[in-house]
Amino acid sequence: MNFFKNKLKTGTLVMAAAITLLSSCNKDVQQFPNSTITAPTGQNLAQVLAAAPDDSLYYAMVVRGGLVPVISNTAIAYTMFVPGNAAMRTFVNIASGGAIPAASPDAVHSNFIRTLLPVASAAGIVSYNICPQTITSAAIPTTFPNFQYPSILNPAPSVSALLRLTTFPSRRSNGAWLNNIPLTAPLDLTAANGVIHHTAAVNAPPSIYLWNKIESDPALSLLRDAVNRADMDPTAPGALRGALLNIGANLTVFAPDTTAFKNVLSFLSGGLIPANAPVANFSAFIGSLPIATVKGIVVYHVLGTRAFSVNLPTTAISTPTLLNGAVPTHPGVRVQATFTTIPGFGTVAATATVKGVVNATASNITNRDNHYLNGVLHVIDQVLLPQ
Amino acid sequence: MKKVTSCLVILLLTNIFTIALYAQSVTITGNVKNSSTQENSSAVSVTIKGTDAGTFTDDKGNFSISAKSFPVTLVFSSVGYDPQEFTVKSATSKVNIALVPSNTLGQEVVVSASRVAERSLESAITIERVTAANIRNAPAASYYDVVSTLKGVDVVTSSLTFKTPTTRGFVGSGNTRFNQIVDGMDNQAPGLNFSVGSIVGVSQLDVDNMELLPGASSVLYGPGGMNGTLLINSKNPFKYQGLSFEVKTGVMHTDSRQRNASPYHNWSLRWAKKIGERFAFKLTTEIIQAKDWLGVDERNYQRLGTDGFPKAGDRKSDPNYDGINVYGDETTADIRSILAGIGGQAPFLAPFISTLTGSPINVSRTGYKESEIIDPTTMNYKIGGSLNYKLGKGVEAILAGNWGTGNTVYTGSDRYSLKDLKMGQYKFELQGKNWMARAYTTQENAGSSFNSTITTRLTNEAWKKSISYAPDGVTPAPQGTDWYVQYAQAFLTNKLGGQSDYDAHNNARGVADVGRPAAGSAQFKKLFDGVRSIPIPQGGLFVDKTNLYMAEAQYNLSELTGKFADVIIGGNLKKYVLNSEGTLFADSAGKIDINESGAYIQAIKGFFNDRLKLTVAGRYDKNSNFKGRFTPRATAMFKIAEDHNIRASIQTAYRFPSTQQQWINLDVGGNVRLLGGVEDFRTFYNMINNKVYTLESVAAGAPQAYSFTDFNPESVTSYEVGYKGLAVQKKLLIDIYGYYGQYTDFLTRRLVAQSKTGNPADLGNPNARSIYSLPVNAEGKVNTFGFGIGLDYRLPKNFQVSTNLSSDELQDLPAGQVSFFNSPKYRFNASLANNGFGPSKRLGFNVAYRWQDTYFYQGDFASGQVPEIQTVDAQISLKLPKTKSILKLGANNLLNQYYVNAIGNAQVGGLYYVSYGFNVY
Repeated sequence: MNFFKNKLKTGTLVMAAAITLLSSCNKDVQQFPNSTITAPTGQNLAQVLAAAPDDSLYYAMVVRGGLVPVISNTAIAYTMFVPGNAAMRTFVNIASGGAIPAASPDAVHSNFIRTLLPVASAAGIVSYNICPQTITSAAIPTTFPNFQYPSILNPAPSVSALLRLTTFPSRRSNGAWLNNIPLTAPLDLTAANGVIHHTAAVNAPPSIYLWNKIESDPALSLLRDAVNRADMDPTAPGALRGALLNIGANLTVFAPDTTAFKNVLSFLSGGLIPANAPVANFSAFIGSLPIATVKGIVVYHVLGTRAFSVNLPTTAISTPTLLNGAVPTHPGVRVQATFTTIPGFGTVAATATVKGVVNATASNITNRDNHYLNGVLHVIDQVLLPQ
Repeated sequence: MKKVTSCLVILLLTNIFTIALYAQSVTITGNVKNSSTQENSSAVSVTIKGTDAGTFTDDKGNFSISAKSFPVTLVFSSVGYDPQEFTVKSATSKVNIALVPSNTLGQEVVVSASRVAERSLESAITIERVTAANIRNAPAASYYDVVSTLKGVDVVTSSLTFKTPTTRGFVGSGNTRFNQIVDGMDNQAPGLNFSVGSIVGVSQLDVDNMELLPGASSVLYGPGGMNGTLLINSKNPFKYQGLSFEVKTGVMHTDSRQRNASPYHNWSLRWAKKIGERFAFKLTTEIIQAKDWLGVDERNYQRLGTDGFPKAGDRKSDPNYDGINVYGDETTADIRSILAGIGGQAPFLAPFISTLTGSPINVSRTGYKESEIIDPTTMNYKIGGSLNYKLGKGVEAILAGNWGTGNTVYTGSDRYSLKDLKMGQYKFELQGKNWMARAYTTQENAGSSFNSTITTRLTNEAWKKSISYAPDGVTPAPQGTDWYVQYAQAFLTNKLGGQSDYDAHNNARGVADVGRPAAGSAQFKKLFDGVRSIPIPQGGLFVDKTNLYMAEAQYNLSELTGKFADVIIGGNLKKYVLNSEGTLFADSAGKIDINESGAYIQAIKGFFNDRLKLTVAGRYDKNSNFKGRFTPRATAMFKIAEDHNIRASIQTAYRFPSTQQQWINLDVGGNVRLLGGVEDFRTFYNMINNKVYTLESVAAGAPQAYSFTDFNPESVTSYEVGYKGLAVQKKLLIDIYGYYGQYTDFLTRRLVAQSKTGNPADLGNPNARSIYSLPVNAEGKVNTFGFGIGLDYRLPKNFQVSTNLSSDELQDLPAGQVSFFNSPKYRFNASLANNGFGPSKRLGFNVAYRWQDTYFYQGDFASGQVPEIQTVDAQISLKLPKTKSILKLGANNLLNQYYVNAIGNAQVGGLYYVSYGFNVY
């Protein structure tokens, strides 16, 4: 038995030695480095904003709107459009109904924002000026008319989680804008979770539809009548009103004022209705015109994109209207603008015009950039004639 | 078939009862012992010199033999002993013989090299032999593992019980270039195309010997043995008698890396008995049960058809992650079309969506790991036996069968869970002194086996549809309940919320996976079991009941031609009946027959007193789908001195494409279909009018039409020289070989794409094309070369050192073709063993070390670099002669160093066992 013990001992020792010699490990199959997601470092948007002296009033509004936690979240990237204190003072002046003069000390403005500005308004405005993901100013497209980009403001979350109010950043060689508001320095303030651009004014979210405006504004009553007449089209009853009331639509309406309508309707009546006749006469006359004629004219005043005045080119270009849906080869309308730079504010359109193919001259945009949920409305002084 | 079998049984039984009428002479009885250990020696051949009369000692070393007159000279011989003669003058006293163990190397007799018995030292081709004694003393838990210690051998381990040996490269789980022949029967599952020797075949205790012929060997063993042939021969019940059993109990997964530590059981039993002089039978059975090794390669895989490579990324970082041993995540789709659909409904989001969809957003579904879907218990049950009857005049009739069933995992174009696989091989054989005739059949039944990928993908679909289709089945009609719709909506919402791609994807997956059945839950099991019980393509079950029938005969004409040369002739008829009910083969309309026939002739002539031995052989084969083919072979053995032999050979071999390469029709998912090479497929898939394009040209953006060429059997011509000899007082056996092989019409696969719309412009869209993997012949010739050196040294006191080094290389593979060469450039084995030391020489041990080089593994399931592998196996044993027992303590992969020898296969760790064997000889 001792023999076995000894042999076993020796054997074990020999084996152990051999094994140690051979014990370089088998390697595992080639492994790839784990792609680690590194959390961004540095100050978040809220911190950057809080630290910028000229953004103190807007930061107050962010606080009022309860959005500090949102923009502090470094897991989420945002682009913020922030009006500086000068723009905020103007805003407070308007929001307070003039009670707080723009020239008041910042503490007064700040106090108003922190205590009197409705929380929902503050939240709405700030949310409307936050877009998901990081968009540097250089990344803003230069294409006509602009780039429709969702904000984080969902007007009806119960309808759809995907519903968003959209903003319209644009860029040209002579400037960049959010909707019709110039972007101003400083741009591209980088935070850990996004980027901040400044705007020359507060960009408030729209709250009503185009149709709400057209339907209720007496100055646009003949346009309203024309739309209603066009909507009698038995193949698409109510289609225009539907579009003008649709949150998903994205339109530009060139809205001829009453005078413009009177002129063209008087002409169409062969002078039977004088241009200075009461509105009611023209209203009735619209009701007697062929539906197709009225519809052709109305849709010729609507673009399928949202073009603010600042989006119009300095050299006139033709752009299709909704008429092109029925007449694809139609040249559309020609739009054009001239620009001017307001010191301390930015570049805006000095003049803007739109011209129908039959019109001898271009219509002037007399009241521009009325912004609604589903489009922008420019009042013009001539009816555009497609043929 | 059944009727024939029962008739044969009756015939044999009748013969048993007529035995009494035979043998009326004097009986000599005696006993044979081992002179060294004094143990009784069983299975020792006892013959009467100058006659045909002979017998074997039984399990107690006893024998009895009849002699007609005295004196007679008895000749005692057994492998591993010096032969002895003893003259008996009368039958009165018992003959007691003590055989002296021989210590000479290279003396064992081999049969397979030339189908005639010859000393292994004098074989004209490279041959390796493993005896029952080698197996008994090997550290390996299974005799199949012993093969891997031979030079030039690679083994692919699909799972614990599924191992595939190969020589000369082209290693794979289902190796169709390497024949495994068990008792004369080709062991390849006829439909599944893998050899099932380790599952269905000879039980461990019944293995008499294994002979390995590396290199081309189809001349004598039929098409298929391109790279080698392994012949496994079981023990004849006349020779090996008595009851033997072995109980092996072990433990695996000791480090709980894959699973908790779990037991390994392997019990085997053999019972053989001679009844009278003419009849003997045997019954063998073996059961193995354990928790299997696991495929745990969860690396991300870049798939292109059936080709690909591992790449960076995981489930979190790659939305299109496709883990190698993760199943169900092969389902992938580009969610841009769904996002575009959302943009259509919500135009105000369209510009934002366009910022996301500049490049494809491919997303895969969430998969399940191998451990979560495959039954952890691997089980293997084998039963076999034979009835042997001596008809007289040296003719023995054998009726034998091996049947096996079990669960295991096999890697082919996928990981297949072979569940309740059943396979049986049954033969009737007549062996004369110089002739042999044999008929056998292989009956295959895949049982409840299923394809892991297809089953898991469809389980995902059964839980939640990926995408709904219109009633036409082609036009997508996304629904809010579809997984990809939910994913895309959530992804967009997350992006609109400002989330990074990483978060947006992972959170979207969380949304789409809400309610996903957890692995192992009752819900999952119900869904999964439902899918795996439905045949492919609606489910994951593959039905395969393919059968093979074969008849062959051989005649040794030497008695007639001896003056001129020793000549043997032989021939065979083979019939495959493919039957997969459309789940594997293109046989949904009915079974498919494939017929093969072949004949061979060999002549051996010795010159200069047999110092030079020349052999020429030739073989002709014909398959119903291919033209006939002639393969010649010529070998020479030159004895430069006693025990120093030089060999040289030119061998040709070829193989018909496997049954799958001829007739497979399997949708492997991702729009990829494996097709066979027969022309019918080209018509069926309208490839003539709607052309197919090479996938690489499609991927490069400039589709080039693929033009079909003839589909031929592949062939190899192998040139080989070797030396085998003894040195250092015959204590050192040296075996060296070098070879060069040239493959013509090398069979490989090629990926082509066909537009679903008929318009080649749509080929770029992965959803608008079908990819076919077609078997084709490689253009040009592919060359392989290599060498092997083996040294076996007998040290004093029974110690033996063995070592071998071998190498295989491939060259001249045309660019863009997949070779599946899969062979390490170098591999090295070394072992130190002693089968008898200590008091009464009762102790034994064996330590074996193996190293193999790293190599690039290519497989239809996965490809990638296999790291170098080192393993140490060891055993120590103690014989207890009084009770004829042996106790063994052993370890496979002693250091528990996990390794894989094919990408996607199970990772193998350490297996530690103790065994008790009774009457194991």
